[in-house]
Amino acid sequence: MKILPEHPCVIVGGGLSGGLVARQLARRGLPVLVLERGGERHQGGESRLPSQRDELRWAVRGGLMQDAAVETYTLRRSRNEPSRPLRRLQVFLPGTGVGGAATHWNGQSFRWNDYNFALRTRLEQRYGRGAIPDDMPLQNWGVGHDELEPSYDLFEKLFGVAGKAGNLRGVIQPGGNPFEAPRQNEFPQPPLEITEAGALFKQTAEREFGYRPFPSPAANSPAPYVNPDGMRLGACQYCGHCDRFACEANAKGTPDVLLFPWLSRQPGFELRTHCHVLGLDFDRSAGRIRAVRYLDLQTGEEVLQPCQTAVLAGFTLTNARLLLAGGIGRPYDPASGTGVVGKNFCYQASAGIPLFFRDRWLNPFLGAGASVTVMDEFNDDNFDHAGLGFHGGGFIAAGTSSGRPIMSRRLPPGTPRWGTAWKQANADWYAHHMAVGVQGSCYPHRENFLDLDPDYADAFGQPLVRMNFDFRGNEQRMMDFMATKALRIAQAMGATVVGGVSRPGAAFETRFYNGTHVTGGTIMGPDPDTSVVSPRLQHWDAENLFVVGASVFAHNSGHSPTVLVGALALRLGDDLARYFARPGRLS
Amino acid sequence: MARSAVNSDLNRRDFLRLSSLAAGAVVPPIAAASPLAGAALPPAAAEGPVTYLALGPDEAFIVERLVDVMCPADDLTPSGTELGLAQFIDRQLAGAFGQGQGLYLRGPFRPGIPEDGYQRPLNPLDFFRHGLHGLDQACRRRRGGGFTDLDAGVADAVLTEVAAGGWDAEQTGLSEWFNDLLYPLFVQACFADPVYGGNRGKAFWRLVGYPGLPAVYSRDMITYRGRPHPAANDPKSIEDFS
Repeated sequence: MKILPEHPCVIVGGGLSGGLVARQLARRGLPVLVLERGGERHQGGESRLPSQRDELRWAVRGGLMQDAAVETYTLRRSRNEPSRPLRRLQVFLPGTGVGGAATHWNGQSFRWNDYNFALRTRLEQRYGRGAIPDDMPLQNWGVGHDELEPSYDLFEKLFGVAGKAGNLRGVIQPGGNPFEAPRQNEFPQPPLEITEAGALFKQTAEREFGYRPFPSPAANSPAPYVNPDGMRLGACQYCGHCDRFACEANAKGTPDVLLFPWLSRQPGFELRTHCHVLGLDFDRSAGRIRAVRYLDLQTGEEVLQPCQTAVLAGFTLTNARLLLAGGIGRPYDPASGTGVVGKNFCYQASAGIPLFFRDRWLNPFLGAGASVTVMDEFNDDNFDHAGLGFHGGGFIAAGTSSGRPIMSRRLPPGTPRWGTAWKQANADWYAHHMAVGVQGSCYPHRENFLDLDPDYADAFGQPLVRMNFDFRGNEQRMMDFMATKALRIAQAMGATVVGGVSRPGAAFETRFYNGTHVTGGTIMGPDPDTSVVSPRLQHWDAENLFVVGASVFAHNSGHSPTVLVGALALRLGDDLARYFARPGRLS
Repeated sequence: MARSAVNSDLNRRDFLRLSSLAAGAVVPPIAAASPLAGAALPPAAAEGPVTYLALGPDEAFIVERLVDVMCPADDLTPSGTELGLAQFIDRQLAGAFGQGQGLYLRGPFRPGIPEDGYQRPLNPLDFFRHGLHGLDQACRRRRGGGFTDLDAGVADAVLTEVAAGGWDAEQTGLSEWFNDLLYPLFVQACFADPVYGGNRGKAFWRLVGYPGLPAVYSRDMITYRGRPHPAANDPKSIEDFS
């Protein structure tokens, strides 16, 4: 094994979290090394015309994604059944390469409702101490919205987020999300253009129901934009190739466009690509990480990189894998409910209702990743849950973000699957279809957790992460409720055909995309007995180890995770600067 | 329109012409035993002889029949074979997809429920072949002839039964083969960029009104909100910008 000189700060993962932590350090002139398992993206066909618009290569075959043949995950829905690998990664899509999964995101840029960070307290106060079932280990995060607000604000400015404020310093703003927590500043850019589908939805939701829909905050830049670092975004072309794609117009806020090119010019910053991290060397008695071990994929050589500080900023399940494999922190035990690593693995409960309008031109190909119109009346705890039998909720939304014809084409129920009638239905409905969707929360369940699979290994011989997961009763009841609400709106929109609701079924479905918003496993919290990292994201058992990403979420809300991931990473970067000045336990 | 090199009227002259086009003056002896020893043949142009790389002649004939049943020539489009759908499927099977790119193929193997997705040790090319032969043999047993011998209406009905799982007792996994491998390949063949060999002439993009490339719509978002988009009548593909 090759042993390198010690580095003051090694970050595992060159994605959104790693890039933002590195930015906060590099701007202070502090040295930082990022290890990324993939390569650079911006010379290849994935980010150039015409090859960027290739649905088969990038969307269907997942050209930017983690290669399941190298590393995947296993699933069992209960502890009584054997696990099976996700032999193809379809249900969620970890990225690889500089920028990580944030290269191929859609750009939905929600802040979370403020009460989410003390959700346990909130629900107990509102519904009584017995209102949270024993099998739902909801817990407070140990951080508050007000602490995060400056980091949210900075993230929005760095990524040029487009939107309309709904609550400016406590004053509700027309046109924005009236449920959002107070923000100090308006979004740095005005909202994207509304789509025809979004306009139809907005009109119905407002006039027929009195709801207050608003434009989704979007990291798709509606105009050329220069961020505080002088980094530029181009204007979005509404081409419908956001999710699963790199943006060829540099109009999507992504780390590979906004962070890493800037970082590469900072003294003391180093990015090493094609370095697959195998593990952390943990000195248990000292409570310190001594080194990061990685495989140099260009040489095949194993490398030991000693470090003074390590930051885990990999994909959700990668962070959990490295802690579990390194024996760092006590693994979660579902039988007793004790232990922490792997705990509170959550996902996102989603539903959709297709709509078909004979006489309306919805032109699904005109859209950006986040050109979506959203309503928050039934998200999280924005509504009274007394007597409903579940907690949580979601947003209801409509719009078009892609009309790509292989994967985004919808047909009315009952259409034959091939033949002349199938072709005719495609001709009749392609330009005239849309969907009303629900993106719902997923609260922790005692039996939903991550551990290492004893039977399956990756291409490097390391155990795969095993997801112990299903959508349990709380999420099923929540989706019953949300589907009913969404269906009422859908039915009032004047469609020629309203399709059936697609939603989580009796068994967790791995074959179709359900979103990449997997969270938890290395959760943050104020109590070392119930969390992996402190509210400052410092590992309870290893003072010089920090973990960041959606893996620290104590539960998942009905809002998308990315902006919160960004805010936590920026805050961690600031905390690390303090830590370097004065090492020790951060408070 | 494209002609098939593997249907029953393939003759010696066609074969020699194809081989000499591919290999110049030197025709490798092995090609004589297998007119479709694919690696020697050039990629098919949008117009010209149909060539196959992964599928043997009998296999390709069944696939041609399948795509012609699933996409018959009618007022909407030419036949599936004419649109290159069989060739698209062959190319995908011959390339990275067929060889198992992005597919975790380590054991142990544990058959699961449909929601677990693909759980077999075979790569997609081998599973495709297995299913294709299984379909053909099951047709012989149940319908008295191979799949290519069936009338279009009978073949269509067979596929409906297969897709619904009605033939799984006869041929294990046939519905999974159809629904999770053949059918997605068929849809991809119809709607992927023509650069991959299917969707010739952008026929399916024209049919539905998908404008294709370059998709720069910043102004169109307003101009064509709620109105037909003119580019839908004349879609552009990767090749049009290359």
